[in-house]
Amino acid sequence: MTSNLKVMMLSWEYPPRVIGGISPHVFFLSKSLAKVGVKVYVVTCDFPGAPTHETIDGVEVYRVDSYKNPSPDFATWVYLMNMNMQKEAAALAAKLPEKIDLFHAHDWLVATAGIGLKHVFRKPLLVTMHSTEVGRREGTHTTTEKMIHETEAWLTYEAWKVICCSNYMVHHVKWAFGLPDDKLVMIPNGVNPYAYEDAEKQDCSSFRSSFASPEEKLVLFVGRLVYEKGAHVLVNAIPRVLEKVNAKFVIVGSGYMKDQLDKIVRSMGLEHKVMFTGFLDEEKLLRLQTCADVSVVPSLFEPFGIVALEAMAAKSAVVVSDTGGLSEIVDHDSTGVKVYPNNTESLAWGITKVLSDEKFRAQISQNGYRKIRAEYDWDKIAKETKRIYESVLGEYSKSFWA
Amino acid sequence: MRVIIFTWEYPPRIIGQLAEYTNALATQLVKNKIETYVVTYHPYLTGITEEPNGAKTTRIANPVRTHIGVLTWVLTLNEEVERVAANIYYPTKKIDLIDVYDWHFIPAAVTLKNALGIPFLYSVDSLEDHRSHGVDAPFNMAIKSIEWLGFYEAIKITAKSDWMRDEITRIYKVPKDRIRIVSPNTNGWINDVLRTYAEIAGGAKAR
Repeated sequence: MTSNLKVMMLSWEYPPRVIGGISPHVFFLSKSLAKVGVKVYVVTCDFPGAPTHETIDGVEVYRVDSYKNPSPDFATWVYLMNMNMQKEAAALAAKLPEKIDLFHAHDWLVATAGIGLKHVFRKPLLVTMHSTEVGRREGTHTTTEKMIHETEAWLTYEAWKVICCSNYMVHHVKWAFGLPDDKLVMIPNGVNPYAYEDAEKQDCSSFRSSFASPEEKLVLFVGRLVYEKGAHVLVNAIPRVLEKVNAKFVIVGSGYMKDQLDKIVRSMGLEHKVMFTGFLDEEKLLRLQTCADVSVVPSLFEPFGIVALEAMAAKSAVVVSDTGGLSEIVDHDSTGVKVYPNNTESLAWGITKVLSDEKFRAQISQNGYRKIRAEYDWDKIAKETKRIYESVLGEYSKSFWA
Repeated sequence: MRVIIFTWEYPPRIIGQLAEYTNALATQLVKNKIETYVVTYHPYLTGITEEPNGAKTTRIANPVRTHIGVLTWVLTLNEEVERVAANIYYPTKKIDLIDVYDWHFIPAAVTLKNALGIPFLYSVDSLEDHRSHGVDAPFNMAIKSIEWLGFYEAIKITAKSDWMRDEITRIYKVPKDRIRIVSPNTNGWINDVLRTYAEIAGGAKAR
């Protein structure tokens, strides 16, 4: 059983389809699982130009028709897409030479496909909850939000185990859906430290000059410009930072708050100190993360905080708000600096502290890099995930479904 | 022969004429020695019952109570239909066919066919084109796409009149010889049903 475990993984995004954090997560997790001897079949949405079937480092990837007829709205499309995904995954699982041992779903976006496959094949379903509707929206207010929340509750109910990427998320998911403790598992998200190798080989000074002048420190924010990511807290902290250090604030990403943030910057007369780059291609982003003097993650709600891990992998010093998964990733004054969430004074203090003490900055970035290599390593995460698969299959073998 | 009827309305929950029709059908099937199961929806009378007519009936509720429309309601209910069908299937691994009434539970029938090789009959009571008078809003298009999926995946189709058969052929380009007329208004009605079932269960594999 342990030597040739077969898992069908369901995800609405997988490279080259990248919408959020689930896509790279499933990419690295499935690849690393293949390395430890798990046969993974990824079933995901199609993407223009990407093949319907390919093998990537031992992972079988199937891209299915993501339902391209007109849909009334996004949420309804999700359920229609699931209908297609379920149908094609069922046909695939039925014709494979060996039976699938378990199904692993990522978020509510593949809830109904996962639940249906569990029942028709009578195999265990596992789910990784990357986020929750109640967390994203600070409660459920509209009919759509309530429906998504109830779908998430149903998915966690049907799952044998619910995997969360931080202790914070374990508590949050337990509270949100009233789950028993023994159903929840914490396996952190991983980061790929090799992604920054090329960027590190190249010289920063010339690249940096298109963002900041040599005497300016480079403060980097990477994230969607939406309320919960807290870019507005950073923008409001800028004048206080500038009282102490000369710096340029580079804000990467787009979102509905862009115009509002722009307006705040202009009203403060700080256009020359802030640069909105919009969405950046990967190569530029990796180099920017490598060259930044400090990376800031001022989120108000953060289930995990992958962007902080990426900054640490790029050997950048990090200043993060002490909330959610970020609280666990960063140890204050050791692997980064933690500040009070939604507090401009605290954030300005943290940034100033890092930028005005080069020895401290070098030390926390080194410690941070060492920590992510040790704890957020995909090979280690794959081994832990495999162990969960095996324990679930052990329990399953004693059930009447086996 | 072991048959499951999928219908979204069944007494005591009566919306249109489908409830009475599927009830009469189940009653007649049992009388003709067909092992008959009914899977249907009820908001609270859930669970398995043996009805006076002899059909083993399971009523399911929707695990998601809040919905933005009929489509999301239907698409979440289908997983419960699959769960119940799997519960009927697995003890003996034998279901000869599923008789699906209208589009609501087509997705479940399609998954069951692809996963377990159970053929299904798509019995058409009405079509979205007639119900919505040709409106082509995304909502109606989505329902039509599910009807299309049903026609594409079904081993056979039944219609209650020549007119309906012609409409299915006209709208969905389904070959006429895949559609059987089973009219409740004729004396030979149940025999037409039994003959259709026998053709599917008697050797024909899932398409």
